[in-house]
Amino acid sequence: MDDLYLDNIDEFVNDQNKIVTYKWLSLTLGVHVNLAKQMLYHYLDQKRKEGSARLHATYLVSGKFVENGTTSHKVSVVREDQLEDAKSKMSLTVSVHVYSVQKAVLKDSGPLYSADYDAVKENLRNCSRYSAIRCADAVPMSSAEVQQACETTQAPPPETEQIKANHSNLASKPTSKQPKGIMGMFANKNVSKSQDSSKEIKLEQKEDAPVVETSKTKPAAKTNPVSNFFGKQAAKKPDKSIKEEVEIAQTSSSVDEKPSSPPPKAETPVKEELAKDSVVEKDITSKTKRLEHSDSEEEKNESRRKKRRRIKKPEPDSSDDEVIPDSPPQLQEKRDPSPSLEIQVKKEPVAVSHSDDLSDCKRRKRRRVLKSRTFVDDEGCIVTEKGYESESYSETEDDFKFSKPTPKNPNPPKPSTGKKEEEKRSKKAAAASNKSTKQASIMGFFQKK
Amino acid sequence: MFSEVSAPQEGSCSLLLCRPGSEDQEPSVFDRVKPAYSPCSERFKLGERSFNRQYAHIYATRLMQMSPLLTERAQQKWGADVRIRKLCDLQMGEQCCIVGTLFKHMELQPSILKEISEEHNLLPQPPRTRYISDSDELILEDELQRIKLEGNIDVDKFVTGSVIAIYGAEKNDGKFTVDDFCTADLPPQTPRTTLSSDRFVLLLSGLGLGGSHADSMLALQLLVDMVTGHLGDQGEQSGASTISRVLLAGNLLSQSTQDKDASTKAKYLTKKTQAGTVDAMRLLDEMLMQLVSSVPVDVMPGQYDPTNYTLPQQPLHHCMFPLSSTYPTLLLASNPHQATLDGVRILGTSGQNVKDIQKYSSMDSHLEILENTLRLRHLAPTAPDTLGCYPFYLKDPFILEECPHVYFSGNAPSYQAKRITGAEGQEVLLVAIPEFSSTQTACLINLRTLECEPIRFSSFSAGDDEESEMNISH
Repeated sequence: MDDLYLDNIDEFVNDQNKIVTYKWLSLTLGVHVNLAKQMLYHYLDQKRKEGSARLHATYLVSGKFVENGTTSHKVSVVREDQLEDAKSKMSLTVSVHVYSVQKAVLKDSGPLYSADYDAVKENLRNCSRYSAIRCADAVPMSSAEVQQACETTQAPPPETEQIKANHSNLASKPTSKQPKGIMGMFANKNVSKSQDSSKEIKLEQKEDAPVVETSKTKPAAKTNPVSNFFGKQAAKKPDKSIKEEVEIAQTSSSVDEKPSSPPPKAETPVKEELAKDSVVEKDITSKTKRLEHSDSEEEKNESRRKKRRRIKKPEPDSSDDEVIPDSPPQLQEKRDPSPSLEIQVKKEPVAVSHSDDLSDCKRRKRRRVLKSRTFVDDEGCIVTEKGYESESYSETEDDFKFSKPTPKNPNPPKPSTGKKEEEKRSKKAAAASNKSTKQASIMGFFQKK
Repeated sequence: MFSEVSAPQEGSCSLLLCRPGSEDQEPSVFDRVKPAYSPCSERFKLGERSFNRQYAHIYATRLMQMSPLLTERAQQKWGADVRIRKLCDLQMGEQCCIVGTLFKHMELQPSILKEISEEHNLLPQPPRTRYISDSDELILEDELQRIKLEGNIDVDKFVTGSVIAIYGAEKNDGKFTVDDFCTADLPPQTPRTTLSSDRFVLLLSGLGLGGSHADSMLALQLLVDMVTGHLGDQGEQSGASTISRVLLAGNLLSQSTQDKDASTKAKYLTKKTQAGTVDAMRLLDEMLMQLVSSVPVDVMPGQYDPTNYTLPQQPLHHCMFPLSSTYPTLLLASNPHQATLDGVRILGTSGQNVKDIQKYSSMDSHLEILENTLRLRHLAPTAPDTLGCYPFYLKDPFILEECPHVYFSGNAPSYQAKRITGAEGQEVLLVAIPEFSSTQTACLINLRTLECEPIRFSSFSAGDDEESEMNISH
């Protein structure tokens, strides 16, 4: 073997004033680590023979070490002058080799770490190429495999106990079930959002549809801090796409269990909507409270509403054991306060109980919508009330609803990455359309005043 | 143990202290042993998370799951005809056995209600390392009632949430005088398979990346180099190739990476600052990259790692490991973590459960506490009382149903290991894994013999000079 490497090491140590560790040398020259250790030894040995004294070395010593009766395996890096001392302390020496060679005396071993750091960082991709251990399993996956692995790890099967719990809930309240978590709440809402504007008038005519009166004071008050959070989240839309996908994967996996799973459509716009809602609602709530006392019909239902109020607060965590109060007994609760004259009905669909987008089941459907009604009460005050209403709607409406968002995404759904993009785009589009309707309704509110 | 395995054969000792190329042959390369591995941490994974439930359910299910076991134990201990009573059927003066959950009333236990109440407004509770005091009282609760305990039971050793059976009688003053008590003790164990050769698993915790322990970085690098087969003689390298797995038990990042002010600071002030965890995670990723390219690694999160705080902590997100997550050898595990490795069942936590019990009992040694939780057959009895915990309600996943062969907890102040044998011949190796950043020590477990040995890494520092000089003068 030619001794060219001696000149190399000499250059590194003397000219470049480097700390040459065996690992650095191995990575730099592309030789096996054990060979690099021998090279360093050879270099050191030769220089010592030549008599150039200004070289310092550190050694690695490892072996069995007994201290206070406990044996341990000890691996240490020592300076040359401590070498014999260190070796004598070991009750069984396993390995001794040159760790590094450098010109300066090392006060402490800190520089040894930084000496290797850059070389290791540059060669991270094949950092074990020159090591003495080969691991057959440690083969990097291709990007496709990585993605697959990520998906499997990120979408764990839904907790079985959860499903059970949901079942028991379903038994007593066989209406709509919201999927869990923040996302679930949004997903539900956004389903019916696309038909929001188009169906506004239609719904007004449907006065006799089952109207469920719910407490509006509590939700309104609660939305405010919550919506702030949502507003922030909406701004961070792209970051969330993965998370949303996960969420969707989870909900869709439980479709068979719960026929009410939402279709995986755009989700973020709803957050904006929510945020705006709360602004409009905030100052109305106080009035509403007062009204509730004057309304005789409401008093009758006071107890029931109280119950509902607790359950229905639109906080993200409430969705788990949620009871959706659109069960049949409340149908006759349709409000028609006699002195009130209806000025405006602003309608925001809030939730759809069933969707056949995924489960593809043909059933009569029921959905919950958040309606706000404005009227003048007997004291002459203009009052806006928000309420969840349950209404049934037919297959045709449904088709209409789902056909609407599709033209917004012209490119067909591609697997994985394409899907994500599409989702994002539809989200944006939906957000835009949503904005306009919201704006109009706010203006309408002021004009009527 | 490991030293012997790695000890050089005759004559090859100074192989690396010679000129290269003396014999013109390829340097030998060893193959990493491939163990049969299966993670079994499913019960610590949370599918969906909802936090609107009360914690009462967890105690109810715990008692429900544990009481048949304890009834059986009580009958073993005090005879099959022992009277086992509910608290509501309790008759004054009757010797009987009661199964219930312990509650320790502690004067010093921090309470948020106490803190915000007007009376205590001016007296902030001083932080303590221990919350036990002489006025502590033990109370036993069953499904319906509770009763104060006195007598032959060491109040300081027990913690809230433990399910035990007590034997004694109720006295006139309404307190129950305990004559004896028993715990659920070790669960049944499946015998491990006998291995033909030595295989090791390396346990490591408390890397404390991003912290101020700069000198531990070289030690960590030495560890990585040793495991990956860079370091040492051929003997050492062949020994290192028998390390079939590395398990990182939490606190990969240092506590100092946690910025408590971040949540209270105005957003516009923190816009340009980067979280302390970002650099530390990058460092961790690079370190893991070196490891996973050579050995399978299980990564458990710990108290200071960026995942959920409550137990069971969910695996760290793979997005934080752009480099190392491309390798199939990286396994991001939950905390607690359970796996079967070559027929050896390994179970353990990153140490939160043990540290919490340490605060609320008189027990000091991590090993003692570890053994205690095993005998109580519960990983974390103090959850959810003083230890953050997910509100389970159908099942308490921390109840040990099967006895592990290796039961560990991470982030202990020092290395400790011990083997205990159960009444039914169960053999368990208890290991308190020391914090690496302060001790530079890891643990090697031989899967064949179930022996444990610390492995220390040391380097020299400026202070060593004086030390050695002093040694000379003596």
